[in-house]
Order: sequence, then C-alpha cells, then structure tokens
Amino acid sequence: MRRLVLLLILLTTPTLAQQPTAARLTTDGHLKQRPVWSPDGKSLLFTRHQGATIFLFVLTPEDKTERRLTMGKDPEFDAVYSPDGKRIAFSYDKSSPNQGDIDVNTCLADGTDIKTVAGTEGKLSHEEWPSWSPDGQWIAYSSTKDDNQEIYIVKSDGSEKKRLTTEVAIDAHPAWSPDGKKIAFSTSRWGDLELAVMNVDGSDLVRLTKSAGMDDYPCWSPDGKRLAFTSNRDGNLEIYTMDPDGQNPRNETQNPAIDNFASWTKDGRLTFVSNREEGFDIYVMPAR
Amino acid sequence: MLNLGRQIAKVCGRTTRRELLRAGGIAAAGLSLADLLRLEARGEAETSKKAKSVILLWLWGGPSHLDTFDMKPKAPADYRGPYAPVPTRIPGIQICELFPLLAARADKYSILRSLHHTSNDHGIGGTIGLTGSDSGAISLSGQVLSGQVKATHGSVVSRVLGFSPEMPRFVTMGGTLHQGKRSIAGEGAGPLGALYDPFRLDYDVQQGVKIPSLDLIDGNSASGLASREGLRKQMDALTRDLESSPAAERLDKFYQQALSLLTAPNARRVFDLAEEPEKLRRAYGKFRFGQCCLMARRLVQAGVRFVQVNWSSHVEPVEDTGDGGWDMHDRNFQQMQDRHAWMLDQSLSALLDDLESHGLLDETVVIAMGEFGRTPKINGKAGRDHWNNCFSALVAGGGLKQGIVVGESDARGEHPASRPVTPADLFRTVLHQLGIGTTQLTTAGLPLQGEVIEELV
Repeated sequence: MRRLVLLLILLTTPTLAQQPTAARLTTDGHLKQRPVWSPDGKSLLFTRHQGATIFLFVLTPEDKTERRLTMGKDPEFDAVYSPDGKRIAFSYDKSSPNQGDIDVNTCLADGTDIKTVAGTEGKLSHEEWPSWSPDGQWIAYSSTKDDNQEIYIVKSDGSEKKRLTTEVAIDAHPAWSPDGKKIAFSTSRWGDLELAVMNVDGSDLVRLTKSAGMDDYPCWSPDGKRLAFTSNRDGNLEIYTMDPDGQNPRNETQNPAIDNFASWTKDGRLTFVSNREEGFDIYVMPAR
Repeated sequence: MLNLGRQIAKVCGRTTRRELLRAGGIAAAGLSLADLLRLEARGEAETSKKAKSVILLWLWGGPSHLDTFDMKPKAPADYRGPYAPVPTRIPGIQICELFPLLAARADKYSILRSLHHTSNDHGIGGTIGLTGSDSGAISLSGQVLSGQVKATHGSVVSRVLGFSPEMPRFVTMGGTLHQGKRSIAGEGAGPLGALYDPFRLDYDVQQGVKIPSLDLIDGNSASGLASREGLRKQMDALTRDLESSPAAERLDKFYQQALSLLTAPNARRVFDLAEEPEKLRRAYGKFRFGQCCLMARRLVQAGVRFVQVNWSSHVEPVEDTGDGGWDMHDRNFQQMQDRHAWMLDQSLSALLDDLESHGLLDETVVIAMGEFGRTPKINGKAGRDHWNNCFSALVAGGGLKQGIVVGESDARGEHPASRPVTPADLFRTVLHQLGIGTTQLTTAGLPLQGEVIEELV
C-alpha cells in the first residue's frame, strides 16, 4: 500500500511541477480590473472597486507602496501607460446626471495634467478602454458616439479621430500590436464575443477565434508573438494565450476560479485578476 | 399575560388582541361568519403549505432578461447582444453563457419568462414588484400614484404569522431602495403598521455584519446594551406619555428585538458568519451580495420566514455614483461580464446548494428578480433601458416545480407570447406555498392580489 502511495506521488509530482506558480501582488480582495505595468516594470496600475467607488491605483511592488492616481471624485478606470511611461490614458465617467458620459482622458504618470482626448460630442456617449500605439502618437478606444459601440483611434493630443469599424454588433477592447500595424479587438458580429484583428486603418479584418464561449480583452505580448485574452470556452473565465493568427490557443491559468483582465510584464509573464484565494487580487505568473 | 407588542397572546383565558384584530379584519372585509367559514373551508384546499420561508434576491435596477434567462440568439445583433446561450442540465432549456453554475443546476429552479407589469419607472416598478400593486408608488419625478401603498410581501408574511420578539419574521439585507436620491414606496409594512416593517441587516466586506436598526442606539455593542437598557428605561419613564404613540411603541419593539438579538447568545450567533466553513464562505463569494446570501440561509435556518436580499440600494452602477445596481443604460455588457453575472451565478448557485445540503431547499422559496427587464433593442450606449413589458424571474425551492419554464416571450423578448404573469401572480404563488391563502389574507385584512401560477405548484 505504501509503495502504491509513493508511486502515485511520483506520478503526480511532475504534473504539479508544471503548474506555474502565480504570485499574489495585492491582498485586499476588492474587485479589480485591468492591471497593467509601467514600461520600466516598476509600477502596476489598476482599477479597484471599493464600496461604491471605482478608482485607479498605482502599486510599486518593490517598496510595497500604493497610491491613488488622481484625487478625482468621479469614477476612473481601465488605465494604461503610454509607451514611454510618461503619460497614462484612462476612462473617466462624469457622475450623474450624465449617465453614460464617459471620456478617454490622459494625465501625467503622477496623475496631474489631466486632459480629455476623446469626449462627448453632442449626445452622451462613452469612450473607453484606451490602448496606445507603440509610438505614443495615437490611442485606440471604443466609443458609442455614433450609437453602436465601435473602434476608433484618436491622436494622443485629441486633435484627430478616425472610425475603424462599422458593424451593427458590439466592437470593444482594442489592443494595439507592438509593431504598430494591427489592432486586435473583441466583437459580437459572429454571435457571441470573439476576437478579431485588423489593420490600423480598419482594413483586412480577420477573425482570430471561433470558440463556443466568450473571448475578450485581447492583450499583445511585448514581443508580439502571443495574444493573451479571457475566455470561458472551458466553462469558467480563464486566461488564454494564442498566436497572433489565432493558432495554438492555450489555457494558461487552468483554475476553477475567475481569471480575467490579462496583461504582460516587460519580461513576458502574465498578469491578471483572480479570486483564487481570498477575494479578487492581482497575480503574476509565467506563461506556460 | 405575555405582552408581545400589539399582539397579546391568550395565556389567561381572555379574548386576545389577535382575535380582536382578526374580527376587525373580517368586518373590514365585509364578511359574515358564514362567509368566513366558507373561506376557511376553501382555504384548506387552496393552500399547500409546502414552504416555511422565502428568500427574495431583489436585483434592484432591473436585469436584462435577454442577457440572463431568456436569450434570443436568432434575433438581430442589435437585439441579441454579445453572449451565446448554453445548454443547461435540463434538455431544451438554455440560459446565458455568463451563468455556467446556474446552467448546471437547472433542475433546482424554474424560470418565468413572461412577467410583465405597467410601469418602466424604477420607483413604480419597484413598488409593483414588492407589493403587487402600484398603489401609492412614487415615480422618478416625485409623482405619487393614487391609493394607499400596500404592504410588501415580507410584511404580509410577517403579519399573518405574527410579530416575534425573539427573532424577526422579516429581514431585509441592505439599505433602503432608492431611485436617484428618492426612496421608493412599498418596502415596508405600510398600512399594517411599522411593527411589521423589515428588520434590517447588512454586510460590509470590511466591517462584517451591520445592524442599522441599532444605529438608533449609541455605542451599540452587545455588552454595552445591557447597561444602557437600564439607562434608557429611566429616560423612558420621563417620556411615557410620548411612548404611547404608535411610532414610539414601534421603536420600543424594535429596540427590544435588537437587544434580544444582540444579547441572546443563540440569536447573536446567527449573525456570526465566521462560524461557517471558510470553503463555504468562498463558495458564496466574499463580496457583499455573496455573504448576504449566506446570511439569508442562516436566518432562514434560525426561523426567519422572509429574507429579502437587496443587491444594492441604488439602481445606478458605480460608474454613475450608485452602489452597483442593475440599471445598465450604458456599459450593460461590461458590467454583466465583469461583475454582475458571475456574482449572481456564484452566489445564487451556492445558496441553492447550501439550502439543499441543509435540507432547507424544499421548504424555502428562492426568487431572483428585479423590478423589470431591459429593452431588447440595444441602445446607443451599448446598454439597455427599462422594459416592463416582458421580463424574467428565477424561482426555486419551497415545493415549487423545478426544471421548467413558465411562459414564453416573443421572438425578440419584447412581449409575452404565452402565459403572461405579473409580480402579483408570482407572490400569490409564494404565499400559496407558505400556506397563506384567501382565508389567512382576508382575516388579516390583507388584499387578495394576483392568481396562483398553477404550473409552478
């Protein structure tokens, strides 16, 4: 019997060893979304829900300090660093009575010098989920300014806008590729949410996923060789990666908990939000 | 004689206040003794008394029926939304892919897909949902509808069963419901008197269980209350005349009840979620709604007959300075997939499992619903607006039939296509399961609203 137990341990140990260890970066358990690293890899920017608030926070893991990005009173969420790390783009929601009036703002990395780069034009609309071009000149985002939610790009000073998609379904969560040539995004044009990629002028749209579940929140690896995304194709929300053409999808997290909002560290590890322990916290782990 | 507030139990062989009230109720209803006897005879047959308790998960703000339990995958893209239906444990029944845990438990509940009522205003819809009637409802603009606001369902149950000083009959988890900054009508006992108002609890992720009723009392620790009671009684002696007013009497009953709950060890333990295994607490979800659902099970287990868990106090999402309600005029899909859907999926699934494992599901009706649904056509802000013409509810336990769908909506989910039912019908069905029928309602002077949904019982 003892030999059988030992044999079982030996058989299962290699499998366990293959499970990447996810390091927990926050411990407060509040719901979080879109954790992203500064280009120098020193600061982690994320959205935290706490009570009835939704604000942006910057964590410096090295000295374990944390601060709010701005001192604004209105909701701010889904921020991302510019490629040079000097500015941050984020979604900003003017509070009631302007329900649904969300702008894409930018600010300096210390939270000052806030500017609106994509805001309301006439009717209330929401502009959100910014993603910088690698040269820092443009920001991709989604907007409902023309009623249906579509993908747009805007100069990072707000001076010029272009609409990239025209589709009656939902288009959301653009992610600009590291080489600057492509924008990946999620769309419901084929049924439930799938991932697609297109040129930065909206041409040559290609479907990347064809899964039975929802695929969303694409995020390019720093070298552009993999796309991380969230999928429930295996029954619950997991972080997957795949090649830029949609091939070789891989379930990276393989955890019964909710894993969502993937991004990459500078050296190619995955960062995401998970409730695998106490509440919702941010984790980092190597890709498989 | 044991004074239990307005209801004076018959312990000395005299006519009780309850009996007097009962007689008054009969007279108010214009019934003769013969009428009463006939009603009582009919009541034996018309109620089933399969359930003891009710847990109402009140999804304030109004969830989209198309993104939860009544999907329309064949509708145009600007109707169906970005999610796909998934098969459930029951062949032929599909729900939204955002609810995988509930899909795996479809044999434990039924779905109503043809609910409807008359108002797309949160305040009015909320009053209809919680009382079965729009009487006395208050709209967003402040307009008060004609008629006296009726008692909410929990108060009706509490009234029929009678006030209990040891343990509330009716507990609401969460603050008062608002539309904007305006409280809605119909959350309380209304004409039944404040004694049958809900006893309020809440749960905060940081602070744990909160008892807002004790905010009336300074320094509301259990140990401090006992000594403060003496002080308060001295003060009460000075204001005895004032205390004869109904409002003050109600405050005293609530104070006594709160004091009893905090000082009686057995009752106090009910509120201690730390007694539950950590694994179970995590199964419910360690966020407010999840822990409130767990508390609901503990309350039902302890004898509370009606627990209402308010998803939020405000209809608005946090992006609009609310506290996370279901009123998703914009960002409907972000909120659904990032928060609301999996929260409801996890907490409600855990509640059904937990009730079942404690042997309580068969005697506890569980309902998850909001005041209305949302527009089948997606609006210009990637959201859905209010839609009272057709919406869904999930009902489980309490001896109700499980694994079925009652009613259908039309091709786009805009109107009932078959078997239209109202919130009043649903709660008449709930009362039926509790054994509260025409006789009990009439003798308590309560209105008869709705019809029992026979397919469910």
